[in-house]
Parts: sequence; C-alpha cells; structure tokens
Amino acid sequence: MYKLIIKSAFASLMKRKVRTFLVIFMIASSLWGLLLMQGIYDGMTQQMINNAIRSDSSQLSIFAKNFRSQKDISLYIKSSKQIEEFLINEPNVKSFISRIVTSGLVATAKYSKNTSIYGIDVKDETTHASLDGYIKQGEFNFGKKNRGAIIGFQLAKKLKVGIGKKIILSAQNIDNQVASISLKVTGIIKTNNMALDEGGIFINKERAKIFLGLKSVNQISIMLNDYSKVDMLKAKLKTTFNDIEVFDWGELYPALLQTEQIMKSFSYISYIIVFFTATIGIFGVVLVSVLERLREFGVLRAIGTKFKIIVAMVFFESFFIGIVGLFLGSLIGGGTLYYFSLYGLDLSNFSDALDEFGMDAITYAVIKLEYFITAFIAVFSATFLSILVPLRVLKKSKPIEVING
Amino acid sequence: MKPYISIALKNIYNNKGRTIVTILLSSLSTAILVFITAFMDGEHKIMLKNAVELYPGYIQITNKDFRDNPSFDNLIENSTSLVEKVKENDNVSSTSQRFETFVLFSSDTKSVGAMIVGIEPENEKINSKLEQSLLKGKYLENKDKNFLYIGNELAKKLKIKVGDTISFVGTGADYSFCADNLIIKGIFQTGLFEFDSTSSFVNKKYFDEVFVSENLSTHIIIKPKDIDNAQFLSDEISKILPKELDSQSWKEFMKTLVEAMELDGIFGYITVGIFFIVIFFVILIYTLLSVYSRIKEIGILRAIGTKKREIFSMLLFESVVLSFISILIGGIIGAFLAYYFNINPIELGAEFEEQFKQYGLASTALPTDFNVFNILRDMLIMFILCVGSTLYPIVKVNSFKPVEAINHV
Repeated sequence: MYKLIIKSAFASLMKRKVRTFLVIFMIASSLWGLLLMQGIYDGMTQQMINNAIRSDSSQLSIFAKNFRSQKDISLYIKSSKQIEEFLINEPNVKSFISRIVTSGLVATAKYSKNTSIYGIDVKDETTHASLDGYIKQGEFNFGKKNRGAIIGFQLAKKLKVGIGKKIILSAQNIDNQVASISLKVTGIIKTNNMALDEGGIFINKERAKIFLGLKSVNQISIMLNDYSKVDMLKAKLKTTFNDIEVFDWGELYPALLQTEQIMKSFSYISYIIVFFTATIGIFGVVLVSVLERLREFGVLRAIGTKFKIIVAMVFFESFFIGIVGLFLGSLIGGGTLYYFSLYGLDLSNFSDALDEFGMDAITYAVIKLEYFITAFIAVFSATFLSILVPLRVLKKSKPIEVING
Repeated sequence: MKPYISIALKNIYNNKGRTIVTILLSSLSTAILVFITAFMDGEHKIMLKNAVELYPGYIQITNKDFRDNPSFDNLIENSTSLVEKVKENDNVSSTSQRFETFVLFSSDTKSVGAMIVGIEPENEKINSKLEQSLLKGKYLENKDKNFLYIGNELAKKLKIKVGDTISFVGTGADYSFCADNLIIKGIFQTGLFEFDSTSSFVNKKYFDEVFVSENLSTHIIIKPKDIDNAQFLSDEISKILPKELDSQSWKEFMKTLVEAMELDGIFGYITVGIFFIVIFFVILIYTLLSVYSRIKEIGILRAIGTKKREIFSMLLFESVVLSFISILIGGIIGAFLAYYFNINPIELGAEFEEQFKQYGLASTALPTDFNVFNILRDMLIMFILCVGSTLYPIVKVNSFKPVEAINHV
C-alpha cells in the first residue's frame, strides 16, 4: 500500500517538474539565507562575547562587596587565599586567575590620559584564557625586571607610543596617596574589548601590589568546565564567603548579553516570516495539484480507497518536496557556513568601524545542531500547514460529482 | 483598447486567487521594504545626530597635527580673532572655543584622572547638549570662576556632590605645573558611560588664567545654519584658515561611526534580501500556476493567429498591472508608516538601552526617516522584482508550439 502511495505521489511530482523544482528551490534558497544569517550573526556575537570573557570577565568573576559600583582600591578581596583554595577543590572550575584592578592616569612626555590598570600574572593569563593570543606587537611579558607594560592598541595610538617607549602611570594607592611608576611598553594588545583597547594597561601583579600598597587582589576570574552549572557555583561561593560579590559575564557585559538575546529572537522572527511566506508558495502548488486531480481522487474513492490513504498521498507529496528542499538547503547552507567557519567572512574594509564596536574584522561563522532542528521544524510546519486547505477541499468534494464533472 | 489588453484585464479579474496572493505579497513586501529603509535610515540618522550634537559638534577646527598628536605644541593660536573671521561666513550659525586637557582630580578620599575642558558656557548651550544633560546643581555661566561641571559617573568615582571642593593637578599650555581647587557647580549625565565617567568642564575664562591658555584653543566648534550643509561649509572655512589649521566636518572626524552605520545598513539589507528571495519564488510560482492553468487558452489564441509577441505582451501587461497596483498599495502603506513614525518616534523601551549606549545613543526613541526619494526608489526596486519574477513563466509558456499547448495536460 505504501509503495502505491509513494509511487503515485512521486509520479505526480515528476509530471509537474518545473513546479516541483521551483518549490524545492524556494525552500532551499530561503533556508540557505536563513542558515547563513544565523551562523554569521551568531559568529559575530560569539566572538564579541569570547573577547570580553577572555580579556576581562572570564565566565565568572568575584569582587569584594561594592567594588564594582565604587571602584575603590581599598575594597579588595580579603579572603582571596581561602577563595583560591576553595576554587582549587571545586570540580567544575577549569582554571582561575586573580587580578588587581584600578584606574589611574597614564602619561608620556607630552600627553596624558585616564586609564584602567590591571595587575596580572602573564603565566596564569596564558594558561587561563590565552590572553597572549591578543598580542599585536611586542611580547606578552613584562621584561626581566618586570618593569614592562602591555597597553591597549587604541591607547598606544593616542599616546603615540611603541614598543620600548617609556610611560608614567599614576594612581591612588591604598593610603589615598598618589603613587607613580615609570614603565616601558613591552607589548601592545588588541582584544577587541573596547574598554581594554582604548584605556587598558596591564602590568606585573607583584609590581602592582607594591605600587598600590595592596596585599591582596580585587578580582578573581573563573573559567568553568560546564557553564550550565554556573548558578550552582555562584550560589555556593556566595554562601561560603560573605564579603564578596559574584557576577557572570552577562552581568558584567549586559550589552553583549542583550545582543545575544536580541539576535536569537531576531532569527526566530525571521524564520517565522520567511516560512510563513514559503507556506503560501507551497500551499498554491499543493492546492492546484489537488484541484487538477480531483477526478483522479474521485475515481480512487469511488473504487473504495480510504480517505486516509488519499491524505497520505497528498501529505507525502508535499512532505517529499519539503524534505528535498530541507536537505538541499541544509547542504548548501551548512556548506557555506562551514566555509565561513574555516576561512571567515572578511570585513576588513570596515575594520575601523568594527574596532570601534569591539568586533573582529574577520567573522568566523558558527554551526550549531539547533539551526538544523529549527530548519526541520520550520519546513515541516510549512508543509503541514500548506496541505490543510487542499485536504479540506478534497474532503468536501463528492466522488460521483467530480467523476461526472 | 487592444484586444490583448482587455483579455489581460479579464484574466486578472477571473484569476482571483493569483491576483489576491500576488497583490497581497507584493504590496506587503513593498510596505516592508519602504518601512525598513525608513526605519534604518532614521535609526542611523538619529544615532549620528545624537552623537554629533552631544559634544563633538558638526564642524571642528583644530591644528592639523592635533588629531594625531594632541599635545600643547599643536594648538590653535589667536583663536578669538579666528572665530571672528569664521563668523563672517553667512552659513555659520554659532561657534564655540574649547581647550581640552587631562588632569588628576583629588577629592578627600579619591584621585582619578579625567578630561577637563575650558568652554564658553553660553556658546556651548547651542553647540552641544551639555546644558540639557544637567542632573544636579547648575550649568556653568560665562562669569564663573573656579566652578566645575562634572559627569555623574566621574563624580561617583570621586565620591563628591554639588557644593564639594576638589583639587586638580595638571600641565599648563606653557608646560608649567598648575593646580587649583574647584567647587562642584553641577553634575551632568548624558547616559553615555564613557563620557560621563571621564569628562568635566569649567568656564574658559577661568581655565585660561590657570592653564595659561589665553587666546589658545584645542578646538573651535562650528554649527552650520543648515546641518546638511556641514561638509560644504567646512570646505569653505578651510580656505580662510592659516595653513597649520584644518577644518573637518563630522563626516570626516566621526568616520568610524558613519562607517559603522553603513555596515549596519548592509546587514539590514542582506536580512531583508533573504525575505525577498522567498517572495520572488512565491510570485514566480503563482504566476507559473496561473499561466499554466491557461495554457490551452493560450494555445488556441496562438492557433487562430495571435503572434508570440502579442501573447508575451498580454501576459507581461497582466504582470505589470498587478505589480503596479501592488507597489502603489504597498508604497502608500509604507510611506504612511514612515511618516507616522517620523512624527511619533518608535519607543523601543528600556530593554534595548544597553545596546543603544554601546552605539553612543542615550535615548531609545527612534523617529523613522521620511524621504520621498527613498520611497520611490524602493517602490521601483519592488516593481522590477515583481515583474522580473513573472518573466520565466511567461517565456516558458510562450515556448510551447500551439498544438503542444492545446494538448497540454
């Protein structure tokens, strides 16, 4: 029986080749466009988020209470030793780093600018989130005597300094006195995290401690083995230590989190609009195909074929077109995404604009299984919806009348 | 009326399914295209306008080397007489002199590095949004002495409020050391974190005394009478400037933002493009179905001597009429929406605020851009797309021989 259904549906599709191929192309090309859009936009947001996570927030960051709002150097993490011990024993923690964070003034002989100063350990940062990968010029270290500084590339441009040039850092220390140190630029970094590129200076953590009179750190940042369990660790940290605040990356970079969410709903809305339109296209073809064969179906029903089987025929016909379109669209779309995930979409022509908004000049597309699941659901719903009215027409038609008509 | 025209009109009337679907889809897509263009252009325009008017201004005169090397070696000298000269141009609405430098502020408990700018308070009211951004206290006046107008975030960092006194140390225009105490007169909030956390302003008259910068400026800001005329005016002004100075319009010194808007526009159109691919196919499919349902009729017309050209004209005429009606309806709806939301800006709400700030936009109200030229252009694009999508079925059905067509099942 199924053989007959398939055979008849297939014969009908082949009889009207042009239509069949047009619908298949329609589904395939809209899927191709949607997949490409989704993968590239996701790639863009993912890169921005990765840049923020790798260069600053990690997946989870711990600060002393009120440090985030007051940015006061005296609000350092008092229980940093205990927290570090706790993190070492926590199975979901992949790695963590500690930093000293404060703001100050950076000056050259002729120019000065406000800056964010980060005291870091280069070894830890390299293994933690490979911060060294962002080095644009020079080296990711502070020289033999640890008197070096790694500075954001936009800041370097503004200050007109290159590798080996001297800068003076001034900042308020723990005793509310203004302290200054002279450093040599050993590296220039481009993280595409705007705040860092425009105003960040990394110096040796131990030197920062002496410079600012600190005994502990202001920020402990953590990468997790399983990010889905972030809330558990957050809660655990908060109950174990009461003098700290814990933020995940989304809380530290709300604009990025928002971008990610907006992009998600944007792509779902696009799917709905595009496939609603596609449904109209498939519907037209199925309706005409049913109307043209009313007589044929009338004969089938007159000789005792159950309506269920006729439904199966129509359904199979439309479903077949949908599946071929889905397959073709996924293949081309997935292939194009794969290409862009390997070689990237090069937007270097706009690199100044992209730098301004913390985006990479080359966007690498993302491919997720959920794209294809969404595509399947969209195609399936479209084909299903498009046969409802034709089937109703068929149901209402009377076999004798249509045969005679 | 030529016979094929009347047949075409009859076909449009009789083939209601196709007519409705085509008109519905094409007018909807025209309306969408017109509105999206108006929305995106409006969004970009308001973003640029807000960003320009907040502080940078439409035209800036600086020393040629200042942008690359903002040191005191590259200042505008004799700036007051230069301003007088610039004002002679009839297209100049107002001007404002600024002197920007960085200092270290110290309150009782905190020290923070920040920008301090000597401004002409009255002129600045017209050339920037500083006065409108007042949050607490008062804006500056031309007679003010050591009063500071400071960004809210910077004030928070320094833990100060209106009426408090803070001190600063910095370098004067003659590279001398300078320091003084300042009284907080007002606190402003533009909504842009970066600006609010790094900027502060004092009256330039007072500033000049402390920083030894009399008759010197880092920037002269010019507001043109017609803001669309900024580039032209900037070029005009360049001609009367001494050779070490340079005049740039916002399109030049905010090039990255302009570029970013272009990029955003490209992505927007790509997204719309995907939607149009489907529309194209759907119209193509419906035309194909409609033409094929009449294939016998076309065969007979051919058999009784109607020429291929006439059949082609007939079918094309149908498509042109349908497309024209569609883009007219769609264009009017789109234009109405563009006009309506131009007068009543779309309020996107607080959930978009963070994103907006990222693009330097402090408000989430977006007026659409009502531009007749753009609307007509979009309608034309849609017309070409709609007629274009019907060409294949028309050509295809015309390629049959009359007998083939009559016998087509």
